[in-house]
Amino acid sequence: MRSPARRTTGALALCASLMLGLAACGGSDDGGGEGGDDPIVVGISLPLTGDFSEPGKGVQEGYEAWAKITNDKGGLLGGRKIELKILDDQSNADRVVADYEQLIGSDQVDLVVGPFSTRLVVPSARVAQEYGMLFVEPAGAAAEVFNQGFKNLFYAAPAVADDHYNHLAEYLLALPAGEKPKTVAYAAMDDPFAQGTAYGLKKKLEAGGVKTVVDEVYPPNTTDFGSIAAKIAAAKPDMVVGGSQYQDGVNLIVALQQLNYQPKLAAFSTAPTNPEFAKAIGNKTEGILSPTGYSQDAPYESNKEFVEKFKAQFGKAPEEDQANGYTTGQVVGAAVEAAGCAEQGDCQQKMIDWLHSNTVDTVVGPLKWDATGKPQGAHMIQQWVGNDIKIVLPADAKEADLVYPKPAW
Amino acid sequence: MLVFQSVILGLLLGGLYALLAAGLTLYFGIMRVVMIAHSAFLILAAYLAWWTNDRLGIDPLLSLVVTVPLFFGAGVLLQRGLLSRLRPATLTMMSVLITFAIALMIEGLLGYAFSGTQRRIQLGYGTASFDLFGARVAVVKLIAFALAAVSLAALYTLMKRTQFGWALRATIQHRDAARLVGIDTERTAGYGFGLGLATAAVGGTALSLDTTIYPSLHWHWIGPLMAIIVVGGLGSVPGAAAAALLLGLAQSLLQIPMGATWAQTVFYVALFATLAVRPQGFFGGRLAQRF
Repeated sequence: MRSPARRTTGALALCASLMLGLAACGGSDDGGGEGGDDPIVVGISLPLTGDFSEPGKGVQEGYEAWAKITNDKGGLLGGRKIELKILDDQSNADRVVADYEQLIGSDQVDLVVGPFSTRLVVPSARVAQEYGMLFVEPAGAAAEVFNQGFKNLFYAAPAVADDHYNHLAEYLLALPAGEKPKTVAYAAMDDPFAQGTAYGLKKKLEAGGVKTVVDEVYPPNTTDFGSIAAKIAAAKPDMVVGGSQYQDGVNLIVALQQLNYQPKLAAFSTAPTNPEFAKAIGNKTEGILSPTGYSQDAPYESNKEFVEKFKAQFGKAPEEDQANGYTTGQVVGAAVEAAGCAEQGDCQQKMIDWLHSNTVDTVVGPLKWDATGKPQGAHMIQQWVGNDIKIVLPADAKEADLVYPKPAW
Repeated sequence: MLVFQSVILGLLLGGLYALLAAGLTLYFGIMRVVMIAHSAFLILAAYLAWWTNDRLGIDPLLSLVVTVPLFFGAGVLLQRGLLSRLRPATLTMMSVLITFAIALMIEGLLGYAFSGTQRRIQLGYGTASFDLFGARVAVVKLIAFALAAVSLAALYTLMKRTQFGWALRATIQHRDAARLVGIDTERTAGYGFGLGLATAAVGGTALSLDTTIYPSLHWHWIGPLMAIIVVGGLGSVPGAAAAALLLGLAQSLLQIPMGATWAQTVFYVALFATLAVRPQGFFGGRLAQRF
């Protein structure tokens, strides 16, 4: 068992070092962008097995949908078809590095796009950076992705965790002084993502003069939310914000309802967009807000086409992972068309420069990025109205008006 | 006001802890085994209650009619079939391993049967509450508390007033002496184990009324429950009940100044303090005289 495995590793290492040389040769003699009808090969490494296999497969479907929909319309650059070359990195950070070395170096793919999750995005972006490749990625929203000094990376989603609530913060701070909520209670799980959402809003509201009366952080294994709810209910804030995943959000909302606390506004991340949510809290969902990165009902132009054709291709509606993969494809596609080329070498820098200074329309809305590749948008805000969750912010995407103060739950 | 509300919440929580810990301490008393799978059985009972409600649309409390005898039987089988076969010299150690395996199996099977999706029972009175001198008392929490009180009272009566109870206490106190006076200690221990698991059926159902459940939830419960039975004195049901109420109350009240993260540590601080100062527990007296 052991020796063949070691031999493979050895061969891989040899390949990798050979590839370095090859890539350099390739770079020197492709002066004139030749074009032609040969396919554009897009290299991807995805966690199709292991810890992230569920979301990994979702992203894969998104990429496949993008390739099919684009090819059905005639491909990119006036007739070049897209060909995906997908490797399985087994959710392993070492593997993902070898994969991208192979894709860029020996397979000579024209473009690369990212894998799933921060843990894999960071090492693979570093490989892409070394080879001067554009690196658009569908997942990897944590702060450490953007403070590594990458110049080639773009996160193809509307916002990082801290910015999820931006539309809501803007809306609330623009309210006339009498109506603005005066006090807010925050309860967040001790988790970078969940806490990031709540604290992002907290920072903005505090800067706008809204007082924080409760600020609770609970460990992920908390089972009893009665005491946290009691603390919030006793402070009687106008608004309650939960930096939640799923079960904690549900348990906290029920505990608040049991204490008969009626806020003017309640916002929770993740939990309210879960299909089980309404059932779990006995349909007492009235007026609960939640940020969301993707909605099948979002009115962005390409989204309708995406949902329709995705359903035809896979027999189900796309969720956020699929949309993230598709969005990544859209961003790369736009960069290719704008640069007028798709190959390794100078073309990559052209695309990177273009993305840094332009906005791309996608299924999650128009996206633009700062110098670190952090998206400059915010998540849509959805609200439970009646027995349905509807987009209420931003104004250009809304399906219903935000109800404030919210009805009793 | 917040303090009073927290006292109410703490007592309700402590009552539930008492019921959940009762079985755990009973097993130790009977056999000196550490039953890691106890909380997994709690979650299993909670799932059965949820399933009854979801599929049949009847009140989850009615699932007790089936789960209590079922768990009693499972407990007897578990004791007769597995635990009584362990060598006495390594019993405590090996029981940790074997019940750990059982916990993993239950968790895996729950995930297989019901998926990892987090579930919650839908009750018409799930968020109902009433006012008690200015504090809110949630109906579901009160039902869980009542369930705990009734079962613990029943367990106490059974142990103190029935012939089986005497036999079981004799077995706990001195197995050889019990055998000398003609008690079939093997069978009594089996039934005692079944009794412990039956409390898990009641406890799990009480838990399911007001908790979002998922297969791996039991790991969050076993730690605090173990701490409770050590503080209460291993093997003592009244001791566990007293420790549970006290620690539940302490957790709830400490959350006001310290926040959720530090309030949780009260269980472990109490555990260390007990082991350092009074290893036999604060409520149990000497092991031989418990109950």
